[in-house]
Amino acid sequence: MKSIAIGAHLLRDDVEPLAEAVPVGDLFLSALSVADDQPLGDRELLLQVAGIRAKLLDVATFIAIRYGFAFTSAEEARSKCGAHLERWRRVLTANRDHVEMTLKVAASSPEARPDRHAFTSGAEYLRALHAATQAANVDPAFREAAERLIVPLARRHRWSHRDEKSVELTALVARERLDEVKQAGEELRRIAPHVPFLLSGPWPLEVFADDDHE
Amino acid sequence: MNEELEELPLLETLDHLLDRGVVIAGEAVISIGDVDLLYLGLNIVLANVDAVMRVSKR
Repeated sequence: MKSIAIGAHLLRDDVEPLAEAVPVGDLFLSALSVADDQPLGDRELLLQVAGIRAKLLDVATFIAIRYGFAFTSAEEARSKCGAHLERWRRVLTANRDHVEMTLKVAASSPEARPDRHAFTSGAEYLRALHAATQAANVDPAFREAAERLIVPLARRHRWSHRDEKSVELTALVARERLDEVKQAGEELRRIAPHVPFLLSGPWPLEVFADDDHE
Repeated sequence: MNEELEELPLLETLDHLLDRGVVIAGEAVISIGDVDLLYLGLNIVLANVDAVMRVSKR
């Protein structure tokens, strides 16, 4: 059997009985055990992990581990996570009552994705991909409205370019303010019906998982 | 929460699962069928495009 890591948690009770709790230092990894020959790209497995993730977040905030990290023993998990544990504890302690909300906004003038076949150098392709991603921009009026409505509700926020067709605002929000964020999303829909966007969440600590400064 | 998850577009849910969160040093193979799609073995590849570009110039 192998275990697929889902998140890092402060307490065993934050994990069990929804998932296997694997001690790493004084923290716990949530994990799902599968057969050694189980392909990690299996659609049903992906959906199962996504479902467990959502249920775990209902219990307590945790640090999301990007899908794909699997281990065969607790010792292996401990050795590979060891360098992160001190920071994880600080982040989890500081943000136990906070979750992330994501506002994905369609770029106002999306760039064409570079055609990888047009490049003879991988580095040149990566540069072109990076340039196209960074060039994506949000309608200035929408951005102003999003910052006016959502940012004041957040402990921290970050705009990020994830691809060439959209820009994201991630907000670290107290759980008790989630309804206010959703109302802000409805207000954005009302004042900017021409801008396609998706407000989603709550999500575990993903963007702010490595961000432990207060 | 589960109802909300089901209402979210599937792509958004999978995007968060596959492309967010902490990357652990190690190895993983994401496969569909018998085809390995992605081999995660180098932190540098997983860091970000900027990091890859910096190293490619060395």
